Amino acid sequence: MKQSEGKIGIRELMAIIMLSVGTKLTDDTPSILYSTAKNSAWMSMLLIGIVSIIPVFFLVKVFSVHKDKNLHQLNIHLFGKFVGNMVSFGLLLFGFTALVLDSATYADIISTMYFTKTPFLPIYLILLIVCGYGAKRGIEHIGSTAWLTIFYLKITLFIALLISFLQGEFKMIYPLWGPGIGEIVKTAGRNISVFADFYYLGLIAPLVSSYKSFKKGTLLAYLIVAIELVIPLIIFVMIFDFTSIEIMQYPFHEMILYISLGFLTNVETIFLPFWLIASFIRFSFYLYLVVLLFGGVFKIKEFEFLIPVIVVLVLFSGLAPKYGEFTIPHLREFFLTTLSPIFFGLPCLMLFIAKVRGDFKHEAAKESH
Amino acid sequence: MKRRRRVIKLCVMMPLVMLLTGCWDLTGLDEKVFVIGIGLDKAEEKGKVDITYLIANAEMGSANGASSNEPSSMTITLRASDFISMKNTANSVISREISYDLLRLILVSEELAKEDDFIRFIYSAIKDREVKRTVHLIVSKEKAEDFFDKNKPLFLSRPHKYYVNMLNRGNEIGLIPESLMHHFLRITEADADLFLSAYTTTDIKKTEDKTRADENDSLAGEMRVEGVTNNSQFLGAAVFSEGKMIGTLTGVENRIAMMINDTTEVSDVISVFPDPSNEDYQVSVRVRKKQNTKVNMDLNAEPPQIHVTLPILLDVLTDPPMNNPVESKKKLENIRKGMENYMEGRVKELVQRTQKEFKADPFGWSLYGRKEFKTLKEYMEFDWMKTYPDMKVDVDVSVSLGKFGRQPKAPSYKEIRD
Repeated sequence: MKQSEGKIGIRELMAIIMLSVGTKLTDDTPSILYSTAKNSAWMSMLLIGIVSIIPVFFLVKVFSVHKDKNLHQLNIHLFGKFVGNMVSFGLLLFGFTALVLDSATYADIISTMYFTKTPFLPIYLILLIVCGYGAKRGIEHIGSTAWLTIFYLKITLFIALLISFLQGEFKMIYPLWGPGIGEIVKTAGRNISVFADFYYLGLIAPLVSSYKSFKKGTLLAYLIVAIELVIPLIIFVMIFDFTSIEIMQYPFHEMILYISLGFLTNVETIFLPFWLIASFIRFSFYLYLVVLLFGGVFKIKEFEFLIPVIVVLVLFSGLAPKYGEFTIPHLREFFLTTLSPIFFGLPCLMLFIAKVRGDFKHEAAKESH
Repeated sequence: MKRRRRVIKLCVMMPLVMLLTGCWDLTGLDEKVFVIGIGLDKAEEKGKVDITYLIANAEMGSANGASSNEPSSMTITLRASDFISMKNTANSVISREISYDLLRLILVSEELAKEDDFIRFIYSAIKDREVKRTVHLIVSKEKAEDFFDKNKPLFLSRPHKYYVNMLNRGNEIGLIPESLMHHFLRITEADADLFLSAYTTTDIKKTEDKTRADENDSLAGEMRVEGVTNNSQFLGAAVFSEGKMIGTLTGVENRIAMMINDTTEVSDVISVFPDPSNEDYQVSVRVRKKQNTKVNMDLNAEPPQIHVTLPILLDVLTDPPMNNPVESKKKLENIRKGMENYMEGRVKELVQRTQKEFKADPFGWSLYGRKEFKTLKEYMEFDWMKTYPDMKVDVDVSVSLGKFGRQPKAPSYKEIRD
């Protein structure tokens, strides 16, 4: 029974992107930015947003002439069979690592911020089982779930941010240039891979109903997500100030623990379920991508059946590090830094090769006939 | 066939519902006791504190619990290394699981607050999930243990109601500062300004003089109150610099500091000023801030200069000399000027005190100062706290008069006595 034959439309695509990239503001990505860019982390994020448009745009451009291929097939087409497979395999490793580190971080958030007495293992296990089930249902279901829930999720997020904005103090974002322009640019360069998810979107490009919706959806969602990541970074500083924010691991959760809605004091119980749903969708999507790529590289057609295996692998890799509390954030930071040049370079290289091979001319010729 | 599958599916799904209870972290409400206040006192042993719990009786105040004869709260004091391990230690006396979910205040005795080590104990607050950044941090003159024991409010005997109301109202009228843990942590870590914490005591001085210019211009315990009423006073502020208590502000001084500071809000201030036209009398005025404080700085000057303008709207509510200021422009101007001078004088006194005595400001001016710098490095090198005592601070209070009570005019004193 193949379940992923269905296609998704522009709405679903945008919802998936907004949930999977947008939730990054709720994990420790902000604190990685704050650790070096201090109160000007938002500027680094803005810079990342501006610069990342280049690889994203290039990628979309390359797909304009290979509308029926996914990222893996495109790699083989452009780089040749051997190199293409190697590139895809590399991508698979990175994707898998991202999945492990991010999911372990999320399980850690749940266990340190909300369920303090529950051991880490069952939390992690349940998170992965739910996401595995989601991934098994295929992209169509992930897409429609994302679309169904996105408004609730974003509205609650918006409310939380609005309250924080009103309770915050705008003057705290000064001195405007924080640790200096040099440090802001360096931070941006190191963490440009915050948007690396967009590269992996190429894997589902042929699953989007038309190329036009893929292009439009990707670019529009990109714009929204970029704004969505910059503004909270300002708001966190407005609430906590630059000295406190540096030592905070999960600023978003500290924020919802702090704010109150009038007479309602423990409002985190309202935000938690929505955030959980967003994370489920995010990791279902990641898991789906990893399995899809795995199936591509190792030529396994019925790749959905790999999901339980991957889930178990992720679970054990996530549990493996000793002193996880300390190791995982460090690994994540290291990982983001390593991925950054790759995320920036690969799409450029792909566009370049496509140009040299004359793919664009063929396409133009095909269209004129 | 289809039906059977559905039934099987349902049977598989049902056990999953059990997961929703949150398995390990599940505790019934009746298996918990709620700590409303934590008191911290200095212990003779190093690395230890005496911790007092104020525990609310959940049965009190509920509709059917009114008949029970149990007291509304109890206190328990133990020596512990921090208030996280205390949760278990106290269970040798208390039968149920101890929860900080409803924790409203952390009360610190002045003795401990003045210790260098105080900061080590208070920072465990950010480690525990249940202790929120919205708890109030309050300083008591006596030992926190004694305060909780002695403080028996007559009304609102349920402790969470009493403390929350007391603190919120005191905050609105500006006699005690907001003093949230969040602000304490933020200000201590930013290391530039002073943190103000509410000051309280049950240790009331008995032999105070009866007449005073302004009853609020004093500290908790110094105000003369008679009658059968609550035996604690919440008035004035404890001043914290770098996480250590270094002094106190009276109720009125605290009001001034809160008025100037834009990050705090005082909404309902009625105060007493000397009448400019007749020194024997005092007038009641309602003080409101018209706009945000304007702060201009010239930090490159030697010494650095700060110019502060505080726009105030005054409603003059009484007129004991009965000289009807509304009748003439000259009288109005006279009152306005008199008030302005009086307020400026008070503000200047306070600013000088902060510069000389506390060597840092409680007005949040460092936040304005940040705008003057391009990078954090420059700002750090300027070292706000170090520079502040030498700064030249000008404060302008610009008063505009608002209403004159419900009935602005009063009959003339002379005519009645005629």
